[in-house]
Amino acid sequence: MNVTKEFVKQNGVLFLSYTTFLSQALIVILTNLIEEETKVSKVSIGDSSNILTIFIELAQNVLNYSKTNELESNECKSEGLITVGKSIIDSQQFYYIACQNIVALADKEKMQPKLEEILKLNKNDLKKRYRELRKSGKNTHNNGGGIGFYEIAKRSDKIEFEFSQINEDKFYFQFTSFVNIKSTE
Amino acid sequence: MENLNIEATKYTPEIILHKSGKFSIKGKSYPENTFEFYAPVTAWFKLYFLIDSLPKVHFVTDEMPKALTLDMEIIYFNSSSSKWFFDLFDIFDEHKESFDISINWLYDEDNESAREAGEDFIEDFENLNIKLVPKQG
Repeated sequence: MNVTKEFVKQNGVLFLSYTTFLSQALIVILTNLIEEETKVSKVSIGDSSNILTIFIELAQNVLNYSKTNELESNECKSEGLITVGKSIIDSQQFYYIACQNIVALADKEKMQPKLEEILKLNKNDLKKRYRELRKSGKNTHNNGGGIGFYEIAKRSDKIEFEFSQINEDKFYFQFTSFVNIKSTE
Repeated sequence: MENLNIEATKYTPEIILHKSGKFSIKGKSYPENTFEFYAPVTAWFKLYFLIDSLPKVHFVTDEMPKALTLDMEIIYFNSSSSKWFFDLFDIFDEHKESFDISINWLYDEDNESAREAGEDFIEDFENLNIKLVPKQG
């Protein structure tokens, strides 16, 4: 417990949610919590709507991939870790939204090229690509994973991701989005 | 044809579709299954336009007004909702010749992303009448 507290303090964590079964109900509660926090901290409506959108997108991603994993095998049941926090570097205040979950090789193969493409695009090209994909509909499905990462990247100042192998078919997927706070009033 | 009213929840918007031609979708939009959630709305609009295209016979008594106004005020939304909004505007686009359709995209004047989302739709549907309506927060 002390280790957790120390980590939370050092990293400016607002909440840290580890769950073996993430649900829409939990996402709604956490969304309201972020909404309250950004209001109290006087974050502008533009910044807070970016933070909320990124959180929802990432959390629903974990939710959907978890479900897939549960169907396919029992060994990696719907595990997800989502952290939201805020910090200051060089007098720039920022929020971060981080998630970690387990994905199958097939998911990794779909996600990785998309994420690598996103890293190379500037803001304008990202917006263009987002609209192209939304229009074509090819990359979208019911759960929205197709344009989700583009939506996140559009609203982030920086993103980071990593896949680390667990076994032949499973990977830890770690993703962090950073949102700089432009104004506090 | 009946009006369609769906109450807002913590993660879905209030939806009012009135057969007089006044429509509004207001609130947050991040359902778990977006297309399932909006299916009745899509179906309602498709029926609205279908009834109009049918030959006027005695059992179809509904007269569909030609002037339609949709107010959309979405505080924040997930990417699959954004896809659904696109699909909805696409349906309107198909019927823009037979109807006079106005879409008001309402947003908080301080919310740049919400304004941009509206601008994107204006560019994607240049033949639809979509207006940006900034509101003071």
